[in-house]
Amino acid sequence: MKAPFSSYLSGIAPGLKGLISLLRQRYDYVSVLSIDTVGFQVAISQRAKSVTRNTLCTERGTVVRVYRGGLYAESAFTGFDPAEVEKTCSAICAELDKQLSLLRDCGTEPYETGVLPDEPLEIFAEMETGRMPEDEDISALVDRLTAISDRGMAQGKEQGLNLIDFNVRASSTHVSKLFLTEHRDLRQSYVYSESMAAALVAGEDRTDFAYTSGSERFGPELFDTMEDRIPEVLRIAKDLVSAERVVPGEYEIITSPEVTGLIAHEAFGHGVEMDMFVKGRALGAEYIDKRVGSDLVTMHEGALCAEDTSSYAFDDEGTPAGDVTEIDRGILRTGICDALSAIRLGVKPTGNGKRQSFSHKVYTRMTNTIFDSGDSTLEEMIASVKKGYLLEGMQSGMEDPKHWGIQCILDRGYEIIDGKLTGRVVSPLVMTGYVPDLLGSVSMLSGDRKTDGAGYCGKGHKEWVKTAQGGPYLKAKARLG
Amino acid sequence: MADRHLEQLLSILKSSGADAWEVTDTNELGWEFYFIRHRLDQHRTKAVDSFSVKVYKNLEEGKFLGSASAQIAPDASEEEMRRTVEGLCRDASYVRNPFYTLNKPAEAETAETARMDMEAVCGDFLRTMRSLPETETEDLNSYEIFVSEIRRRFLNSEGIDVTDVYPSSMVEAVINARKDGHEIELYRLFHSGTCGRETLTRELAEALAYGRDRLAASPTPALEKADVVFSTDPAKELYLYFIDRLHTSMVYRGMSDWKTGDTVAPDNLTVRAVKTLPNSSGNTAWDAEGAPIRDLTLIDCGKAVSFWGGRQFSQYLGLESSFEANNFAVSGGTESAEDLRAGDFLEVVEFSDFQADPITGDIAGEIRLAYLHQGGSVTPVSGGSVSGNIRELLDGFRFSKETRQYDSLLIPAVTRLQGVTVTGAGNE
Repeated sequence: MKAPFSSYLSGIAPGLKGLISLLRQRYDYVSVLSIDTVGFQVAISQRAKSVTRNTLCTERGTVVRVYRGGLYAESAFTGFDPAEVEKTCSAICAELDKQLSLLRDCGTEPYETGVLPDEPLEIFAEMETGRMPEDEDISALVDRLTAISDRGMAQGKEQGLNLIDFNVRASSTHVSKLFLTEHRDLRQSYVYSESMAAALVAGEDRTDFAYTSGSERFGPELFDTMEDRIPEVLRIAKDLVSAERVVPGEYEIITSPEVTGLIAHEAFGHGVEMDMFVKGRALGAEYIDKRVGSDLVTMHEGALCAEDTSSYAFDDEGTPAGDVTEIDRGILRTGICDALSAIRLGVKPTGNGKRQSFSHKVYTRMTNTIFDSGDSTLEEMIASVKKGYLLEGMQSGMEDPKHWGIQCILDRGYEIIDGKLTGRVVSPLVMTGYVPDLLGSVSMLSGDRKTDGAGYCGKGHKEWVKTAQGGPYLKAKARLG
Repeated sequence: MADRHLEQLLSILKSSGADAWEVTDTNELGWEFYFIRHRLDQHRTKAVDSFSVKVYKNLEEGKFLGSASAQIAPDASEEEMRRTVEGLCRDASYVRNPFYTLNKPAEAETAETARMDMEAVCGDFLRTMRSLPETETEDLNSYEIFVSEIRRRFLNSEGIDVTDVYPSSMVEAVINARKDGHEIELYRLFHSGTCGRETLTRELAEALAYGRDRLAASPTPALEKADVVFSTDPAKELYLYFIDRLHTSMVYRGMSDWKTGDTVAPDNLTVRAVKTLPNSSGNTAWDAEGAPIRDLTLIDCGKAVSFWGGRQFSQYLGLESSFEANNFAVSGGTESAEDLRAGDFLEVVEFSDFQADPITGDIAGEIRLAYLHQGGSVTPVSGGSVSGNIRELLDGFRFSKETRQYDSLLIPAVTRLQGVTVTGAGNE
């Protein structure tokens, strides 16, 4: 079925077009983005249960962007009333004028920027989904997740694990976005779903959290197979309680698809967000058409290059979604760009202008960031390692686009000696290094690949948006601590 | 939300069949300014109402209490509100949690409710950022200023109807330093109530000086085990570990095994939840469930003495008058910051992202700038990482009597941990 576009947004669209007409009498460019996002989250454990019709992205609100005299400004608000367009217009202008007055008093000069183009464009995209979150039978879902939690506990005990709890979480979000200018009318509606299964397990002297996650740009049908996760969660729990500390040093590594995705995201995801080029904050600007990785490294980024939680038809500035080849056989080709940065840099926007919510500013942000596959098998890759680790499970990562340092905090490392897994596990792991060294050391890639979009990505330490990342198994060298 | 809409919602809730309910009406008025160098990238305003409702259903004759929550848009029609509440009543009947009761009306000294002068506060921020001690070689790359006034009204079916009005501000600043064609950057995210001009200037001036030193930094050598000193923002993570592990949800859900009376921290460490801290963005009279916020000792000389947290999990642990605290103060240090900086040690002042896991106690972070004190000399170093586990490091956990405030946290100015793993940058 197609995810139906919000009737609320359809209802206010004529009023918003009236608002644009009024504001255009005063400003050289006006755009409006209205969002109506609904969803649910069900979380079940042995000790607590919750159901909410909120996810981190559910919201309803509007943001107006205006341009005059080389300067952009925005006004975000809730509760748009189509019958009060003139009043809304006056309130927006009055508040922005107050800000300008203060800025003049403080001697502020604008960062002069050209006006955004506004060629005619219409998009109406209702994307495919199996079921809608609004129609989901919450009672049945609570029962299903409760049964999974119960079975996880029972099977954990059978395996000799000291499980404290078995947590299961399912959330599904239906996004509707309306983007309007004088000449553009873009409407999209899509559904994405996320799941998590995790065991809280007590070892001899510590407690660990063993988790797996899943995501798809589809509906709550994702949860129909959640029970299949139980064995993997219990395997991870068993590995964590027996884990030792790694001896710090440089090792051969094989990264699982989720760790490969984390590297893609932190290494040349943030590093080629081109709003950072405008500010002179990214070393990547100086490396276009230069080597940044081995010949095996090709990386794509864009809402069109995978179907996951950040796969949309147009971004939050009304730019159609794209698919950019950032790294082509080791050579950095281009970055990703929001619309304002594109004007400032004299390039085309790539469909990567995203907001945390309607009330937040647009930045250049990632969507799906993915390494291309190779032609090796995981078995061949393991057999090629003299001394190293197979790395699984991501906890967090941090970018450093100015210096190309990388920090990835990982869950588990499985020791490989002379081409064989020894059964020894180390945890947790801090993987650090210099990005070109890390990517330059990539020597094998597996033929398959996966994406994961269950997490959120920040810019610095704020502005959390949905992103997905992934790739194949990847063999390289890195420092572990 | 307009009072008319609120009255409509309350009326719907009262006739919905819900056994109890909670409503939070939040209104945020914000001004934002974005700069590249000192030129204005763009300016923004926001006026955002969010309106959340939670309904409760007694299940199996009061043995269980179900609940479900949702946001209701401020322009929702009466019919839309009714449909949402009916859906929540259904959802709540599927959620079988052990029974607990909602907060009841209580007395509290209310916070200042005078409206904030938005233009004056924003003017303070704008002028402060232009008056920092920048030089030709150390300056601001870009910065963002966020100023909000938040009005939060909470009502429940027990008769609570309380309102907090408070300021909340944030500055993100990126600092550059350059020499001989080489440029580095440092990052700061600074939270406060309104503009604390002196504190903001001090913090950013310190970062400008660190930028200069990072330019001269050598690769961090592999020290294996070393004494590590924390004296900047990442030190918060060490103390949040103790605070988080005493949260009632962490304890009830088995993520923390701490019990009152346990020795959980160094024997002179005391942690208190405090109602207010100067210019904190968390100075409210009431928590999100209408409980009055007060001062409460959580750890007294290393021993856990009280848990803290929201109504549900607190009541499961037998606490009738707990609350969600916003501000915390850590004290008890007996050594001076100077004494803690004696001998050989690595003082890390900039991490990529330093984290302490409240479940495992694991700490980890990549070093962006540290000062290696060895044999009387001091060398700025960069790269490599710090890792360890707080539980295993407690014996060598020392902290200063001097304190430093980071918005809603007042913590020792200097903390020294013995025996931390330090991985080198790899170029030594």
